[in-house]
Amino acid sequence: MLFRRQCLIASLVLAGSGLQVRRAWAQAVERASAFVQQTGDRLVAIVNGNLAPADKRRGLAQIMETSIDIDGIGRFCLGRFWRTASPDQQKQFVAEFHEVLVTNIASKLGEYRGVRLTVQRGRQQDDEVIVTTIVERPNNPQTTVDWIIEKPDSAPRIIDVVAEGTSLRLTQRQDYASYLARNNNDIDALIKAMKQQVAQSG
Amino acid sequence: MRAVLRRHSASRLAILMIGVLCAGGLAGCATPPPASDPDAVADFQQTNDPLEPTNRFFYKINDGLDVVIMRPAALIYRAVVPNPVRTGIHNVLDNMGGPVRLANDVLEGKAGRASDTARRFVINTIVGVGGIFDFAKDAGIQNHDADFGLTLASWGVAEGPYLYLPVLGPSSPRDTAGFGVDSAMDPFTWIGRPSPAFTAESYAKTGAGALDERSRLLDAVDSIKKTALDPYATFRSLYRQNRAAKLDKLRADDRGTVPPLGTDQGTAGSSTTR
Repeated sequence: MLFRRQCLIASLVLAGSGLQVRRAWAQAVERASAFVQQTGDRLVAIVNGNLAPADKRRGLAQIMETSIDIDGIGRFCLGRFWRTASPDQQKQFVAEFHEVLVTNIASKLGEYRGVRLTVQRGRQQDDEVIVTTIVERPNNPQTTVDWIIEKPDSAPRIIDVVAEGTSLRLTQRQDYASYLARNNNDIDALIKAMKQQVAQSG
Repeated sequence: MRAVLRRHSASRLAILMIGVLCAGGLAGCATPPPASDPDAVADFQQTNDPLEPTNRFFYKINDGLDVVIMRPAALIYRAVVPNPVRTGIHNVLDNMGGPVRLANDVLEGKAGRASDTARRFVINTIVGVGGIFDFAKDAGIQNHDADFGLTLASWGVAEGPYLYLPVLGPSSPRDTAGFGVDSAMDPFTWIGRPSPAFTAESYAKTGAGALDERSRLLDAVDSIKKTALDPYATFRSLYRQNRAAKLDKLRADDRGTVPPLGTDQGTAGSSTTR
């Protein structure tokens, strides 16, 4: 009898905590979705605005610096070479990576007018929340873009962007890995190539 | 980015080229890194591109042809043909892929997807005037990808090493085999054959398909070539990720033929038909 009651209480407590966890998840998903909506709106406002290209780039950079974990993505992209890089190389690489990312995003979005972003839904995966959006650009097919958000509750930041199933940071990492493999694993050569690329696009 | 030319003449050319490749003894093979560098060896295995030199050779050829022929043609197509007409052409071509998609949905054992494909084909062919208008999508029946490469994957066949095919672009042994099977089971490969009308239809379809696909990828490819340090490796990565994502989506889709009452079509939760 007593045992049965204990079981009952235990299962109630468990169910209660399960509910709580679920509620916390739902909240995290909601916050992450709001964060993506807000960041997306700000990006779209700049892209669709009447600014000169240089001002657009500056505006996009400002938003990206606060909403994307660029340092973390950079470390991920250098992969196993991060460990073999000297502190100075690491510093140079990360600094250059900020430029590259801003330039790439600016060149991906900058030439469009009439970009639309619609937040569809979010879901929890491990400690992160994945927010799915539909991005429409004139003359281009609709693209499904997933935003991976870390720490949705305290300090939400974008740690990856997945377009039609292709991850931005993974693609970038494999691009760098291949470049390094073909250039004697020389990190300085990579940094130089990144600089060149930014200079050409900027 | 993906297959630039489709079916018919393209497949014949590809098979010929693969034959030449095989006869040539697959001359260019990548040299694996020394075993003393385990990280590099792991990278090499993960990249799984033992034919890299040969693949890069064909990438260069395709890229050269793309720069002088396909890209300019796609730019003109996009500039001259108004957007609604392009969408109509895309829809017709896509609708013609219905039978092959349906066959693959069935082979994958995906009842919900097969039902979507069948309904889309009937609705769009009849109400959508031969597929020009995608009314089925407006009715909430979403399109999806299905090809025999994906079917093989869903049966557990591994992708194998990376292949970059002449004309067709990024692939793998599994997806190349899938492409051959899809072409063979496509009724449009056989209907009316052989007749002058068939030849004309097949060229028109191949040409329109190539233009349609290339024009839809114009901005994406331009941006990759501008931003990648090694475009070949970037396309390789994108192709693989894209295929893996399609397979994940396919595996996760366990809808039955009839959406449960009170739920939205397409987004219906999992039911038990398999």
